[in-house]
Amino acid sequence: MKLGVVGKGGVGKTTISALLAQVYAARGQRVLAIDTDSNPNLAFSLGLDAAQADEVPLLPRSLVVGTGNGALSPSQLIEQYGAPTPSQVTLLHAMRITQAGAG
Amino acid sequence: MRSILAAAIEEEADVTLVDMEAGLEHLSRSGGTLAYADVLLVVMEPSRKSILTAGRTIVLAEELGIPRVYGVGNKAQPGDDEFFREVCAEYNVPLAGIVPANEDVVDADRAGVLLGEGRGGAVHEAVDRIVAYVDEHLGETAVVGASAPAG
Repeated sequence: MKLGVVGKGGVGKTTISALLAQVYAARGQRVLAIDTDSNPNLAFSLGLDAAQADEVPLLPRSLVVGTGNGALSPSQLIEQYGAPTPSQVTLLHAMRITQAGAG
Repeated sequence: MRSILAAAIEEEADVTLVDMEAGLEHLSRSGGTLAYADVLLVVMEPSRKSILTAGRTIVLAEELGIPRVYGVGNKAQPGDDEFFREVCAEYNVPLAGIVPANEDVVDADRAGVLLGEGRGGAVHEAVDRIVAYVDEHLGETAVVGASAPAG
């Protein structure tokens, strides 16, 4: 299942995303949480500290918006860019996508 | 590879959840990051600005053909339930749940830490109900093969 959480800044998207991800993870599902903000706030809500959050690799923009050349399989992508968190959720940190879909 | 949600990520994850930065860009063009979402939760708080943003988002999500678009009320004070119900009725989207305002959430945000199981009890219960709502409605339209618990 692919689940998007959207809303105006400050409404609590990140808190709700983190709690939802934890519910799915707690019942044994493999959960991938993708933070598309330039500030990795989701990392904190999933239990990482600032140093750990800084170490989460940024997904290349090409993979986020789909202009990549298909060099990575999904498993390679998660292996290379996914960060484990204390809440058993795998975190991906994407870049800002202001230009999503352009070009 | 197409955008990350269009890819065969379901081989690797039962649930892929995207916390979208503020803004509508990801919904504004075909192939945007959320164009392939099975479920879109549009989070609102009891403010007119957040409701207006939600309304524009819902229109775009429906244009994109996202099969399940639900409202979620957050930071609800006693008495706000009716407000969120009316807004969702106006926008013609189901209300998947209402999350109460909670001091433990504010504290966790201030400290930049995870909201643990032992704190924010009513918030966890509300999120559990949203997950149950999503579960219940997944079978209604598109086939979603990856929603069973991992073995």
